[in-house]
Amino acid sequence: MTSDDQSHATTIEVIDSAPLEVPAGATVTLKVRVSCPRGCDLTSIPIQIGAAAGALVRGGFATEGDRDDIAEVKLEAPDRLGEHRWSVTFGPYDVAGIRHDAVTVSARTRIIPNTTSLAVWSIPSPVVTGAGFAIEVGAKSSTGAVLAAERLEVHDEAGEVIARGELGGTPYRGTTALYWTNVELVAPAREGLYSWSVAFEPKGLALAHERASTTFSVLVVRPPEHRLIIKLIEKDTLAPIADAQVRLGAYPAATDSLGIAEIDMPKGVYDLNISKAGYEVPTTRVRLDNNMLIEIKALPAPGEDPDAAWLM
Amino acid sequence: MLSGGRVHLGGGHALQQKAGIKDTADQIFKDWVRYDAAVAKYSDRDLVRVFADENVASFDFLVENGVEFRDRPIGPEAASTVPRTFVTLEWHVPSEVYAPGGGRNGSGLVRRLEESARKKGVQILLRHEMTSIIREPDAGKVLGIAVTRPDGSLNIEAKRGVVIATGGHTGNVNFRRTFDPRLTEEYQQACMPYVYQGAKGELAAMDIGAALWATANQTNESGSAITKTRHIGCRWGYSSLVFRPESKMFPLAKATGLTVRDWQDMIFVNQNGQRFWNEVDGSYRFFAAAMAYSGDPSKLNGGGPIWAIFDADAVAREKWDPQPPHVDADGYFYSADTIAELGPKIRNPYQKKPISGEVLQETVNRYNAFVTAGADTDFKKPTPMFKIEKPPFYAAWATPILHDTLTGLRTNTHGEVIDIRGAAIPGLYCAGECQGGFAQHGLARCVVFGRVAGRNAAKRVA
Repeated sequence: MTSDDQSHATTIEVIDSAPLEVPAGATVTLKVRVSCPRGCDLTSIPIQIGAAAGALVRGGFATEGDRDDIAEVKLEAPDRLGEHRWSVTFGPYDVAGIRHDAVTVSARTRIIPNTTSLAVWSIPSPVVTGAGFAIEVGAKSSTGAVLAAERLEVHDEAGEVIARGELGGTPYRGTTALYWTNVELVAPAREGLYSWSVAFEPKGLALAHERASTTFSVLVVRPPEHRLIIKLIEKDTLAPIADAQVRLGAYPAATDSLGIAEIDMPKGVYDLNISKAGYEVPTTRVRLDNNMLIEIKALPAPGEDPDAAWLM
Repeated sequence: MLSGGRVHLGGGHALQQKAGIKDTADQIFKDWVRYDAAVAKYSDRDLVRVFADENVASFDFLVENGVEFRDRPIGPEAASTVPRTFVTLEWHVPSEVYAPGGGRNGSGLVRRLEESARKKGVQILLRHEMTSIIREPDAGKVLGIAVTRPDGSLNIEAKRGVVIATGGHTGNVNFRRTFDPRLTEEYQQACMPYVYQGAKGELAAMDIGAALWATANQTNESGSAITKTRHIGCRWGYSSLVFRPESKMFPLAKATGLTVRDWQDMIFVNQNGQRFWNEVDGSYRFFAAAMAYSGDPSKLNGGGPIWAIFDADAVAREKWDPQPPHVDADGYFYSADTIAELGPKIRNPYQKKPISGEVLQETVNRYNAFVTAGADTDFKKPTPMFKIEKPPFYAAWATPILHDTLTGLRTNTHGEVIDIRGAAIPGLYCAGECQGGFAQHGLARCVVFGRVAGRNAAKRVA
């Protein structure tokens, strides 16, 4: 505390300390309070920041509510990974002829890589054994960095690389910075549900980034043998019902404006499920052993009634 | 004011006769004491008898006081064996309807009764809030109520009686947990931010000794005590209530929500980013799973927020515009370029810690595999139809929302409030959602027991 009239002991404390881990290049805000127990106005006096090479520092005393003894310091984390120490030093300074001793507070932070993440879409399903098909893959940096020309790999369940792709130069529509590409693949020769993965590790970015991976599923089926044509009509009016979702196990389709959906499938027994808001369609068991046309009648059903929850 | 205007009255009134429906008071009673109906079996049969006997007179009362109904009956609903629900016409002055264009036809009942009451000389004191009921010492009669109003406080003397009709308790977290400790703060109340069902009447009456009654009704799991949030991405997305931008309430509600047509278009995840049930289901099994212990040792009750996760394809199928004013981006709606990025972005007062992007990605990948295979082996969602794969991705608030108050103060058949020792509290009456003993959804029990309580209060000698 106070030593005598010519010297005041300054205090410094960190109010909002830096997080324990900060991604490379991220902005960190430190709030420190500097005060004199005798009430001297210290706000015009600069503070010194100790930071690693590569770190940018800006900031100074800022008013927070009615507190003008709080300094807000923004630090841009360096791109060198690992432990990092920040220090904030005040003084020594004379204020109105009174000496204020130097005080220092420090904080430790670990600089970590930025993250990346992936999306995989437009995966056709199912896929016939041995057939070629394409998927779309996108990658995103948590910093929003441009990932154009960065490469990614597709791995099979054994971890073998089965395809490679290079990200294009324009983000996917509707996204902020998802760089994407088409990847060509070939279905295995055996039927089954496969779980493959995409791996991405950017190499050419200024800031350190972690690698990312994600999985996606591919259902591989034997070649189709017959065509199933489904005609969906309303029971009472016999009017065709468009835009209904049709599923036979993993085989998807949707009805067109004539209420018709066509699916090429192998022989087999399938449960036909049809979904369309405003209609009830019972599940139908279909034995497919030849080309078939089946007509399904849907019953109009009232829309979802909020008070229907009251029904038993 | 925000009710759907469904009035479940029968007994053979004029509209039922016009529709060719045969009904009697005895049939109402038989229906609403059914042992095989969860909505009926816990009710107080003395009150059900009164309800049944008063149906036709209550319907006539509404018509005599200007309430208009559609001719078309709905039902049979709930425990009823014949159609009894008729819907009122919406109040005809759009500027005086708080949720216009949304089928909130109850305005046509409340406003008509208000209009009739004012014509009869009734004084309505708005912006007066009851703070307590004043009772004579030593279990004496009720003398009146204490209120606060913008310019101070006031005691109002009851010349004949006080009728508690404060609208239920589902907004009061502490009170509602009396009946179901799972209903912690993350569960919002339907009809907020317009009306707060704060148990004020119940608490004031209990302060002078009143008892609760038939509390099992609140958790009978047969009706709308808890409902799915059908308008996702806003804080108060009750199933059939939307505050559109032209509503006076919109500045408080902040978003209309995205109206869900098909629950296949999304998955629901809990505060850990994990699926917990078949999304198509709307039963109390869904709600039980949503409120299951989440593994957070600092929050043992309640299940935490529920988020709907969907993709750009779902937005196209549902024809949504995932922007304000449809969504509330201040804590109730998020978007991201990838699923892994989406989880950590979710920040909400009830979300205790961010959702791990890795966990959410794993959840979505697993679900997508179910869609590919054509079967959900985790929760048996019937034929899961759509993968969540096309960017951008979205998280919308979809936490179940609370609606009906189905229990409350104990009354006798005259509407007099009964104390915890079984004696009537002289001069204190109760009706509506703050009355216990009869668990029927909607306006009918409010109208019937409101008449009963008002009539008996008026008969008291001053």
